Amino acid sequence: MTDITMPARQRSIKERMEPYMSIIAPVSMILMIVLLMAILEPARYFRLSNLEIILLESALYMPMAMAMTFVITQRGIDLSIGSIAALSTICSAFLMKVYGYPAWAGVAIAISLGACMGLINGLIITRFRVPDLIGTLAMDLVYRGFALVIAKGLVLARFPDLITDIGRGRLNGFLPIPVIIGLVTMIAGYFILRRTYFGRYTVAIGSDPQAAELTGIAVDRYKIYAYVLMGAMAGLAGVMLLGKLNAVQATSAPLFNLHVIAAVVVGGTSLFGGRASLLGSLAGVLLLSMMINALVTLRIEFFWQSVGSGVVIVTSVALYTWLQKKDRDGSAGGLMGLFASREAQRLIKFTAAIIGILLLLLALGYFGAGTPSRSG
Amino acid sequence: MSRSPLISMHGIVKRFGGVTALENVDLEAYAGEVLAIVGDNGAGKSTLIKILTGVYQPTEGSIKLDGAEFKMANHSDAIAAGIDAVYQNLAIADHLTPPENLFLGAELTKSFLGFPVLDNARMRQEAERVLSERLGVKLKSMDVLTESLSGGQRQAVAIARAVYHTGLRVLVMDEPTAALGPQETARTLKLIKTLREQGLAIILISHSLDDVFDVSDRIQVMRRGQRVGTVDTKDTDNAEVLGMIVGASAAA
Repeated sequence: MTDITMPARQRSIKERMEPYMSIIAPVSMILMIVLLMAILEPARYFRLSNLEIILLESALYMPMAMAMTFVITQRGIDLSIGSIAALSTICSAFLMKVYGYPAWAGVAIAISLGACMGLINGLIITRFRVPDLIGTLAMDLVYRGFALVIAKGLVLARFPDLITDIGRGRLNGFLPIPVIIGLVTMIAGYFILRRTYFGRYTVAIGSDPQAAELTGIAVDRYKIYAYVLMGAMAGLAGVMLLGKLNAVQATSAPLFNLHVIAAVVVGGTSLFGGRASLLGSLAGVLLLSMMINALVTLRIEFFWQSVGSGVVIVTSVALYTWLQKKDRDGSAGGLMGLFASREAQRLIKFTAAIIGILLLLLALGYFGAGTPSRSG
Repeated sequence: MSRSPLISMHGIVKRFGGVTALENVDLEAYAGEVLAIVGDNGAGKSTLIKILTGVYQPTEGSIKLDGAEFKMANHSDAIAAGIDAVYQNLAIADHLTPPENLFLGAELTKSFLGFPVLDNARMRQEAERVLSERLGVKLKSMDVLTESLSGGQRQAVAIARAVYHTGLRVLVMDEPTAALGPQETARTLKLIKTLREQGLAIILISHSLDDVFDVSDRIQVMRRGQRVGTVDTKDTDNAEVLGMIVGASAAA
């Protein structure tokens, strides 16, 4: 028999770096934060107690970031996880506080309820063909609504030891339990991704749904699995938050969606499917927690957190898109290309017009301004 | 030729509503032989092979495998009988490695704490073996994503998948070289010859007469849903086949 050795196509440096790309962006941003804090506030930022605060903060998001990695790798998205966490925790909190359920049952029920809600999401997306973005956004309202209906304005507080242990306990008085839980889910996620049908098919589905279907993969079923995993992990995170605060209310966990999706996307898992990086998600979670912690350490107002997260998401997604585009068609572009074409000049004029109108309105208002009345 | 065909089609008619796509078409493919099907667009080549691979059901006519009547309800029946097709737009997941693609949907597993888990090491080994032993193809690395492979290499992975899983006997290749450069085309043609040596019946659909004359043993010419004729490749030439395709020989 003849041997045909097919030489691998000449691989560019970028292609060779490809597998590590997902880790490069968050790690370099982490380094930037470290550097910045080393200059601005080294004494308070680099304390062991502060490191622990960062770890505890990020531990809460690790299970969800793990599950979200699967959902996004399949080209899906779940915008309902904050509400799933709130509703499942409210239900289990009621069972524990009002009906005297044991703590272990409360934990298991919260996770199972989360899984059920994930199942509902999955069924809505695969059976009724509601696009994931709309489907989970609508279910976010539904779950949050139920949480408000059940809890009214109540704050349920003071839970059994098992719950607070999960949220803020220590193993042997040293290792924080939530961090262990977070890392274990991450490691389990890595195992699932590499070693199970579900993990393999998740990549295949995200890479090319039609090809996956042709190969005989039950695409819908594996999509549902991902949402169920997502729901269960949101339920777990809900319990961890419950234990951390030792209290829960219907409006708990409002920022889970944004935070988790940000962490996963920053970590290099592609929104266009097929590229999963759990290590990247872990780095992404750490990055966001470090950033928020840095803002707190610098005594910057809480509301800037939201600005910071948003900027980090846009920056990293733009970066990944740019990197991928470059190694596809080798086009130079980026900022310089922005000013080159006539189309770009039209856009610039359009932008200038909008800014101009805004400035004009501000000026008009200034000249017409009277004495302001106090609000409220 | 006294030997009997591995697979044959007899009096195949296919109508889509009022349109007759195939009219009384026969086809014979022998083991260890490349049968090329040529013809203009709309001549019925694609319909014919879709019937051969169980994707379509014929309106009339029958298919014989090993001389016995063979009925297929769907594509899976064809695969089970060792008939598979590799299409131009390959069903390959770009973000998986070649071994992962090769075993996609039929992964090898081992037991871990009583649960089946994917046996990546064994799949990698087997993939390497199938590619080199059956296809004579060596990839530089088994760990790169398939998207970084060339068109020919991706095709090799797709063929390896068919060869490995179905105990393949009949391989249909639909325009395998259409998207490839000259070097890659040469490799793919070599690959077809390698598979022929192993006793596969290969049915090659191609617009490129150069490729057809390079690898095929017989050429079946289709025109307007009918078989114009089947000729031995060594007894004919480019001009004659071209004439059959456009219908000039009939007019002359």
